[in-house]
Amino acid sequence: MVSIEIDAFTRVEGNGGAEVIIENGEVKDVKVKIFEGPRFFELLTLGRYYWDVPDLEARICAICYLSHSVASVLGIERAFGVKVSKEIELLRELGLLGELLESNALHLYLLVAPDLFGYSDAIRMATKHGEIVKEGLAIKAFGNYIREIIGGREIHGINVKPGGFGRYPTVEELERMERQSEALLRLARRGVGIFAGQEALGAKPVHYIAVNGYLYGDKLIASDKDTFDYFEHIEEKALSYSFAKQSRYKGEIFMVGALPRVLLKSEMLTPMAKHLYEEYKEKLAQGYVSLNNLAQAIELVYALERTKEITRELLDKGIDGENVPIEPQEGEGIGYVEAPRGVLIHHYKIDEKGNIAYSNIITPTAFNHAIMELSLYEEAKRRYGTSDESTFLQKLEETVRAFDPCISCSVHVVRL
Amino acid sequence: MMLKLGVFELTDCGGCALNILFLYEKLFDLLEFYEIKEFHMASSFKEHDTLDVALVTGTVSTQRDLNLLHYARNHSKYLIALGTCATHGDVQASVEGKIREKLEKVYGTKANPMRALDSTPIVQHVAVDYALPGCPYDKDEIYQILMNLAKGVEPPTKDYPVCIECKLNEYECVLIKRGTPCLGPITLGGCNAVCIKSKVGCIGCRGPLPKEANPAGEFEILKELGYGEEYIRRKFKTFARGELRW
Repeated sequence: MVSIEIDAFTRVEGNGGAEVIIENGEVKDVKVKIFEGPRFFELLTLGRYYWDVPDLEARICAICYLSHSVASVLGIERAFGVKVSKEIELLRELGLLGELLESNALHLYLLVAPDLFGYSDAIRMATKHGEIVKEGLAIKAFGNYIREIIGGREIHGINVKPGGFGRYPTVEELERMERQSEALLRLARRGVGIFAGQEALGAKPVHYIAVNGYLYGDKLIASDKDTFDYFEHIEEKALSYSFAKQSRYKGEIFMVGALPRVLLKSEMLTPMAKHLYEEYKEKLAQGYVSLNNLAQAIELVYALERTKEITRELLDKGIDGENVPIEPQEGEGIGYVEAPRGVLIHHYKIDEKGNIAYSNIITPTAFNHAIMELSLYEEAKRRYGTSDESTFLQKLEETVRAFDPCISCSVHVVRL
Repeated sequence: MMLKLGVFELTDCGGCALNILFLYEKLFDLLEFYEIKEFHMASSFKEHDTLDVALVTGTVSTQRDLNLLHYARNHSKYLIALGTCATHGDVQASVEGKIREKLEKVYGTKANPMRALDSTPIVQHVAVDYALPGCPYDKDEIYQILMNLAKGVEPPTKDYPVCIECKLNEYECVLIKRGTPCLGPITLGGCNAVCIKSKVGCIGCRGPLPKEANPAGEFEILKELGYGEEYIRRKFKTFARGELRW
């Protein structure tokens, strides 16, 4: 028995690697090892006053901190039975759209594009393809602008609060978002063409899972048409070789992320995004996990169009800036959010004083851990013996990268 | 001559490495002076060489982190502890309890297959040449520090509380005027009082102000506002476990 090690995945967030086990000249198994240290966020929040919790949870991940803030706030509000205004809902959605723009653009243009053009990174790629890198950076910077306004900071802002916001955006800020989203649409549309060219890699998941709303909701949906709460059908287990756990849906491997979102929720897409979805429908339906990149590119178009719709609606109506008052009471609540890389769950039980008594967080990369391993296995099987070692390893890395894994997020999942 | 730069990420949220990419066009200005030899979040390129400057982010939470930290220290002339994880331990180091108990609670086993350690800041393990806190740190500050080093100037250290920048921005004091818990008076400035801009209190993410801080005074103010001692204690320790005594 021999094994080929990928010491550390590069151009991904956090620290992880893989081991490909070869026996009698055949690929026998692949293990995805997450060696980022455990971070114990569930323990960190235990006993803490609800008001401070979203700010702590934001620090699980920098790329998608706002998804964590919103998921946390939703879980807390549901535990207290709080209902917020349409305005607050739209502003939260706007923040999540900013995060989708920032994260998808970062992933596609800085991490994936160098693979398509044959470079080790975007900085080196920029010498010949500067325009593409700059277009990606422009979209990413705009996403970050939205995160700064809605979230309070580009990274780890503390403006998203239970019951509303610390500070509400001004008319000028909303107008700037509306203008910029319009201006960037052309670039995002061009990006879809670039990322549609990537070859098929990895496995085809048996199931796709997403949240029932496009970016947040109150239940999960699956490709077998079931609508459910996560604990009804999803099981997690710990592994001996990784700090991240693995999950199964009704006993089977599934995928979360951009590809599941566009496939399960195509009817919610905005006009131009829907048109692009129709154009690539057959390709997307092939189901290979690498198509996640194409789905992310279509989502950039969606996020820009939807940002325009929301800012216009808010500008027409005017901002009230009213928070909903909260009286802490004993309760239990789950926040379901689509972080850029897939379903994110924050589940809390809160005591009558407003302190957290139980906390469970499941992140997209933990959900995708099993399908990621299967994808590497299938890709390795297809390529072993037919391509040289550097191509072999490069294609395995590309396969992992398609999940846009967020390893830092994945390492603090509590036992169910 | 180009300086050789390495970015090393130990256990953290990824934000301190990401923040470098958020420099946008300024990153390209930095690349006039620096050649990136190691930055695994952004590049598949890696060259083992002696570095002029190493940026190290995150806490030491595994044996691998510790090995990587020693590697970075032994291969660099100038090492910067970047972000509050690296300088003070941040939120993950504030989780109380022994590592084995924590592993059992989360993973259902005391087994320590990959040698997890209690999270500690890197400054506890190696000598650093400069420590820049912040969760995240202000990205313009790291830009300035790297530019200073490129020009042979030792970067200055900040020594004033968040309140100074809050006053300069003419924000309303949330602690005195609204009774919101705000750690601004005892927290090291440099963030431009960004959280008070959002009309919420400072949560202390840049760690305690050295020397002049008066945590006992802050403790009394918060107690008078009606906050419980346990609540205040945990708030003080969130980003810098065990550093503030009163």
